[in-house]
Amino acid sequence: MIRTIFLLTIIFSTTYPQDGIAIAKMVDERKAPQDIVSKTTMLLTNSKGKTRTSTILSKSINNGSKQILWFLNPADDKGVAFLKIEHDDKADEMRMWLPAFKKVRRISSSKKGDSFMGSDLSYEDMTNRALDENNYKRLEDDMVDGKECFVLEVVPNAEIKSTYSKHITWVEKETLIAIKEESYDLGGNLRKKKMFLFESLSGYNVISNIFVEDIQKNHTTKLTMGDIKVDSGLDESLFQEKNLKRLPRN
Amino acid sequence: MINTKFKKWAVHQSIHHPKRTLTSALIITLIMGFGLQHFVIEDDMMKMIPKSVKTRVVWEEVKDEFGNTDLIFVAFGAEGKSLFQKKAMSDLWDFTKALEALPEVEEIRSLTNLNKMENEDGFLLIDDLVNTKDLSLEEIADIKDYLIRNPELKKRVISQNDDFFNIVVIPNGNTSEQASVVKIVATAEKLLSGYDLHFGGPPYLVGIVSSLVRADAMFLVRIGLVMMVIILLASLRSVAGVFMVLFVIILSLIGMMGSMGWIRGLTGSERFVFSIMNTSMPIILMTIANSDSVHFLTKFFKKLRITGDKAKAIEQSIDSLMLPIFLTSITTAAAFLSLVFAPIEYMTGYGVSIAIGISWAWILSTTLLPSLIMLKDWPLNSRAIRKPGLLERIVDKFGGKIIKFPRSILISGLLLVAVGIHGIKLVTTEVNMFSFFEKGNKIRDSLEFLDKKMLGAMDLEFLINGDMKDPELLQQISQLQDYVEKNPSVSITFSIADVIKRMHRTVMDDDPDYETVPDDRAKVNNLYTMYSMSGDPDDLTALVDYEYSKALVTAILKNVSTKSSVLFVNDIEQFVDKNFTKYKDITATGQLVVLRDMVELVIKSSVISICVSIVVITFIAAIFFRHLGWGILAVIPLSAAVILNFGFMGILKIDLNHVTALLSSVIIGVGVDFAIHYISQYRRLARAKVPIETRSNRVIDEVGYPIILDALSNMAFGALLFSEFIPLQHMGGLMVFAMFSTSFGTLTILASLLELTGRRKKVMKKLLGEQ
Repeated sequence: MIRTIFLLTIIFSTTYPQDGIAIAKMVDERKAPQDIVSKTTMLLTNSKGKTRTSTILSKSINNGSKQILWFLNPADDKGVAFLKIEHDDKADEMRMWLPAFKKVRRISSSKKGDSFMGSDLSYEDMTNRALDENNYKRLEDDMVDGKECFVLEVVPNAEIKSTYSKHITWVEKETLIAIKEESYDLGGNLRKKKMFLFESLSGYNVISNIFVEDIQKNHTTKLTMGDIKVDSGLDESLFQEKNLKRLPRN
Repeated sequence: MINTKFKKWAVHQSIHHPKRTLTSALIITLIMGFGLQHFVIEDDMMKMIPKSVKTRVVWEEVKDEFGNTDLIFVAFGAEGKSLFQKKAMSDLWDFTKALEALPEVEEIRSLTNLNKMENEDGFLLIDDLVNTKDLSLEEIADIKDYLIRNPELKKRVISQNDDFFNIVVIPNGNTSEQASVVKIVATAEKLLSGYDLHFGGPPYLVGIVSSLVRADAMFLVRIGLVMMVIILLASLRSVAGVFMVLFVIILSLIGMMGSMGWIRGLTGSERFVFSIMNTSMPIILMTIANSDSVHFLTKFFKKLRITGDKAKAIEQSIDSLMLPIFLTSITTAAAFLSLVFAPIEYMTGYGVSIAIGISWAWILSTTLLPSLIMLKDWPLNSRAIRKPGLLERIVDKFGGKIIKFPRSILISGLLLVAVGIHGIKLVTTEVNMFSFFEKGNKIRDSLEFLDKKMLGAMDLEFLINGDMKDPELLQQISQLQDYVEKNPSVSITFSIADVIKRMHRTVMDDDPDYETVPDDRAKVNNLYTMYSMSGDPDDLTALVDYEYSKALVTAILKNVSTKSSVLFVNDIEQFVDKNFTKYKDITATGQLVVLRDMVELVIKSSVISICVSIVVITFIAAIFFRHLGWGILAVIPLSAAVILNFGFMGILKIDLNHVTALLSSVIIGVGVDFAIHYISQYRRLARAKVPIETRSNRVIDEVGYPIILDALSNMAFGALLFSEFIPLQHMGGLMVFAMFSTSFGTLTILASLLELTGRRKKVMKKLLGEQ
């Protein structure tokens, strides 16, 4: 999960590009860790202020294209595990281990607008944005929390059938990291506001906090990543169905 | 003393400054009328119910937790033609999307946004059943096949013969139901012009009925007014006189509605809005203002006939009628003011505004009306003045004969009241708006269609508190649904237990044997988690709350009467008590249940109001006539009329609802008028030592005709009998009955009682304070 969102943590070269697409290209060429391991706490708050909290152990490689998650908390969910493998040429594979049934089930990934784990992040939010599937336009620079930012308008191409009409992304000039994003629904109305915090780890800027607010549902999601490890040498073989059934010690 | 001073002032103003009085009355009415700019019409009946009523509390809780649960049903198709074809599916897609785009709509449930849940070779799929507008024939066949395999889902979205789609629309809770209904109906009529269209559901009825009833009532009230004018013209034989009566009525109405607006505007109070419950307000004030004016005008004609002097006739009329008109006004106003204690907030505005209107009508009748009379020349040789009219002569001829047999009349009256008391026990409450429409009415036809071909158009909800991950509770919910579905009126129920059962079957390789609630909490939890990973969690928000501590069971029903629904809910409560071992916190709710409670409140409010009114009237009359006996006599005819009114409703199976329950106020308003006019005149003659042998005759001679004319002219509102809405027909019938019972109650029961009392000289002396 962290790796996929990590793509939004655009690290730019010191030479500022002049237009949107140039900025996007820099994103694609950025230096990223081989793998990331973290314990993520997810706090969901609905419009009435009621909350749900989960803790998840997450391991991912290749910019999050392969990811495995184990639920640690709440106790009711402990042992439930989830494996996602993205494919360029076919639908992503998603498998789930249901310990009470002792069964692995493949689940659908066709509805990209569906919420991921009941959060305000959809599967589309979690998936890499390919350069050629979006149009990028640089807007007037702006300030966010006293930080100077580039502002990009990202418009998905019609053929990818995005659930959004556009995104506006604020990129901090000094660190060249995206720190804020607004996403608009197909009717052009503001749907989500996203804020990102990063920490520096082993030469990488790694995402440490995500706050997403669904304006239309008045629902929020706060993800806090702890115990982050990068380049810990995860093996491709970890991302197999059989590994869902066993909750790793770390 | 105050009465005498005001009387003198009124006589002086009317005779010496008629133009100034007319101008002042017009200016004051105009100022009051400016309040109409703040006048608010409120169609949301749910706002009438006090927030403390338990079912409303639960209903609000349900809306807050699960979103709006009010359902509007739309069915479209063509008899006998399968809708599993490209154009119909495409039209359904367009219609669903168009409704989803409306800000007045919160959610749509139709075939095009139904989820399918399937397991193929271990691959669990939760996806849209219909993915696109333009479907191929193969895709349509697949959709049909899926629905056939899931009959419970199928009957939610399409009729048994596949010829009508069923679309459930949940209006946005923040917009008025009327606004939502208008948009939904307009969208359907625009996009589905080639199909048969049917609408139903409580919000649809609430949204459409309030405005239709009001429009129909306004139309028929206008006809009633015309009929009133004709009756007055025929009896008074003076166009100018009838115009003056109408003028007083119209200014009183402006004063009342304007005051309501002013209070609403100045205080911002929600109690002063005009709801369906206030529909009877204008009619009540019209009858009261008409009564004051008719009494004054007939008295004036009589006095002018005798004296031949206009000023003298006015002075004598004011002298004779100031106290009774003042008394009838103050007692009726006090009676309506007692509504401020009613539990329904809207009744405060209702009571206060009518009280203001009545007071204004009294001032106009005793100042403006004499001034208008003063300003006109009244040729003494005109027919209106020269000799009494036909009605007056009939009343004079037969009136006196009535009290020749006072005991027999009294006993007959008491027997009628006894029948009325028996009838009261038969009164039934009915709030189902289905009962508002006659057979053959377009709306009723639609509702009958939805009952016959689709699932019905009523809903009932059950809020269940408990741990929704506990298999025991989920199994109990499932059992509750099975029990509820045994009722022949129930078409379908749905709850979170259904979703859990479907997911269980799907996870267990689509084995039908597993379409059950798992017996293990961990398994239930795994299913919830799986849904959050593979489906849209919003799908569950209408079924279970965020913390899995509350669930909602919804039952869709065909038309049931309020009485049946109460029995049904009670039966379910007994079932829950008997069978729910661990969790018993289950409450029935929904618009039907809340409406039932509201009508109970309206009835309670009306009963409280009637009782308080009778007590207040007794004491006011007792104070002004200086003996409690007069107070008691004043309320006897109206009490008898109230009993007869409700008894009559019971015997003739006229349902009590929020419209008809309030009509008893007309009886209080008019009944007290008649009684006080009669008592006042009787008292005057008794004090003037008119012999007992001729006293009652002379009283009837003086007040019998205006009472009958007033009652007859008010019966013009019987025009409401021709309404296409049953409650308005009942209102019309009850108006006629109220006028009949109050006028005859006064001229028979009260007249007989006074005749018998008058014969006992000692008692009469005590009543007159001469002993």
